Amino acid sequence: MLSDRTGRLFALGLVAPALLVILGVVAYPLVDSINLSFTNAALKKTYDFVGLANYEKIFSGNFASVIVRTFVWTFFSVALKMLIGTAGAVLLNAAVPGRALFRILTMPPWIMPIAIGIFMWGWMYNGQFGMISGLLQNAGITQGPLALLSRGETAFWATIVTDVWVGVPMVTIYFLAAIQAIPRDLYEAAWVDGANRGMRFRRITFPLMVPSALTMSMLSLIFTFNSFDIIWILTQGGPSGDTTTMIIDTYRTAIGSYKYGEGAARAVLICFFLSLFSLAYFRVVSRLNRGERL
Amino acid sequence: MTFHKRLMTGAVVALIASTGVALAEDKVLQFVECGDTPSPVHVDLAKEWEAKNPGFKVSMEVVPWGQCQDKVTQLAVAGNPVALAYVGSRTLKQFASNDLIVEMPMTAEQKASYYPYVPETVTFKGTQWGRPVAFSTKAFYWNKDLFKAAGLDPENPPKTFAEEIAAAKAIKEKTGIAGFGVVAKTFDNTMHQFLHWVYSNNGQVIDADGNIVLDSKENLEALTALKDISAYAEEGATSYEQNEVRQIFLDGKLGMIQASYGAAGLLTKANKFAWGVAPLPLGPSAKGPGTLLITDSLAVFKGTGVEEQAKDLAEYMTNPENQVKYEAGTGLTPLRPGKAVDDMLAADANFKPFIDGISYGGPEPLLTDYVGLQNVMIELVQSVVTGKAAPADALKKAAGELEQYK
Repeated sequence: MLSDRTGRLFALGLVAPALLVILGVVAYPLVDSINLSFTNAALKKTYDFVGLANYEKIFSGNFASVIVRTFVWTFFSVALKMLIGTAGAVLLNAAVPGRALFRILTMPPWIMPIAIGIFMWGWMYNGQFGMISGLLQNAGITQGPLALLSRGETAFWATIVTDVWVGVPMVTIYFLAAIQAIPRDLYEAAWVDGANRGMRFRRITFPLMVPSALTMSMLSLIFTFNSFDIIWILTQGGPSGDTTTMIIDTYRTAIGSYKYGEGAARAVLICFFLSLFSLAYFRVVSRLNRGERL
Repeated sequence: MTFHKRLMTGAVVALIASTGVALAEDKVLQFVECGDTPSPVHVDLAKEWEAKNPGFKVSMEVVPWGQCQDKVTQLAVAGNPVALAYVGSRTLKQFASNDLIVEMPMTAEQKASYYPYVPETVTFKGTQWGRPVAFSTKAFYWNKDLFKAAGLDPENPPKTFAEEIAAAKAIKEKTGIAGFGVVAKTFDNTMHQFLHWVYSNNGQVIDADGNIVLDSKENLEALTALKDISAYAEEGATSYEQNEVRQIFLDGKLGMIQASYGAAGLLTKANKFAWGVAPLPLGPSAKGPGTLLITDSLAVFKGTGVEEQAKDLAEYMTNPENQVKYEAGTGLTPLRPGKAVDDMLAADANFKPFIDGISYGGPEPLLTDYVGLQNVMIELVQSVVTGKAAPADALKKAAGELEQYK
């Protein structure tokens, strides 16, 4: 048998490689970014410490409106994913002919390389050559071409729709698994007691899906808040900054304009918000694991 | 000799031999060219230069335009610069200000060999920071069939902003097809397209003394004209960049566009409708035909140890004789007047407007943060085109924002 000391050393030896990797690829860049956020690092090979100047600059500009836009964008995107995902999961769980085929058909947006899917949506939104504009014109709803990415309001919603399209399959499959884990005898007992479909959903399915829904919404919140590729490929944050979220603004500042210090300050702020979300997620998960009510 | 001694001796011999090989190896000049495929002319010129400069090898890498500038910049900042890179001349001031590239002064004779204003596109602090390698000017294209359908004279293109707006209105109202192609996407050529309006009206963004003069009467006239013509433009102008607008024009769904000489070839090939090309219409303050003069340059980065050779390679590739070969292969506007231009004019009358615009043209503004400049100009155009801001207010705001990039 190993002594306590040897046991501790052995355990440390086992976790050391993972710990080193985490230190190298997570902790070091994070600390370096925080350090960079207090400097005027740019294209010059040297840089100076500037204290909180980069943070002051963030809040003296239009970044506050970018933060608000990011939260609104994230809220609607996550809410729609949850709603559509729940409806999709219930439908896919129903005993209908061809159910396996329908389940397979939910997957392409998730399986397809994300950039290809986004380019496809970009073409559909195109006013001159796009499918949506063509359908609306043929149906007589619009008189001429309608470029959905050309106006702030429509571009904002168009990017949300694409994000929802990408995110719904994962939510649906996750919820489907949650529904299938609900014991069948609960439904049978409710059926014997005369509960109709609606009541069975309200009183059994929905309450038992809540823990999964909370977990998934927290994870979806984190992914969506940080969503970059969809907006960047569709609009690059335009027109007139109407689809610029925090991550887009950070990229444009740090990589587009080579203002690494200012970009790092924005990234730190994003990290702060994501940490809050993660904290909430872990609290929810630990309470669920302990079987507590939320 | 013991086994260990033999082993040691062998190792030393192997080390010396390998060092000898290393010493004999060619020094590599990394050359990044932007685009999809390497220019065959540049590939041949690099081989010729290698033959004249034993001991040096040119390693060419082609990077798509979207990532090209970022890649060479990031490599330079990270302390691993490429020797020579093909960059937009608008980046040179930023590179120079940050001590990333070397000076490449031109002699008076070299400067005089170019068209007017071309050396200015690479000049900062009284010296040159690159060698121009590509030149683009724009002219005005119109669809003669749509002009006819709108009751306009198809052989008489608009010559002023007012005539251009009136023609766009007539086309839109009489045919239902958009009269003019406005470029306003979140993309660099939105700024370029607006600068054609600016230089067609004797405007400027930054003057010779380095003052921001964007908020001027000339630029207000130009921006107001762009706003007015937007009412007759394609739906959703902020969704389209230059090549997308050109494609709509090629499909016969636009009355007029501003485009480069390359569009003439595409129109001839497509052969869908009758078209014409003329100098860009002029604004009320214009003194003569103008256009934005965009150049790309070969820039030599600091810290490679082969700066002198890279400069020599850049000079070799862009000397008058070799530059003509490159231009002939790409369809670009020649950088220098001469026989090649005379031949092009004799071969194709459509080429003339692209040369005419040079006389009152102007360069891309050289500022210390070209991305910042680009973002401000795109926001300026988009805010006016979408009706979010009045031209005068938008110009004032943009001029204020540009002060930080002087």
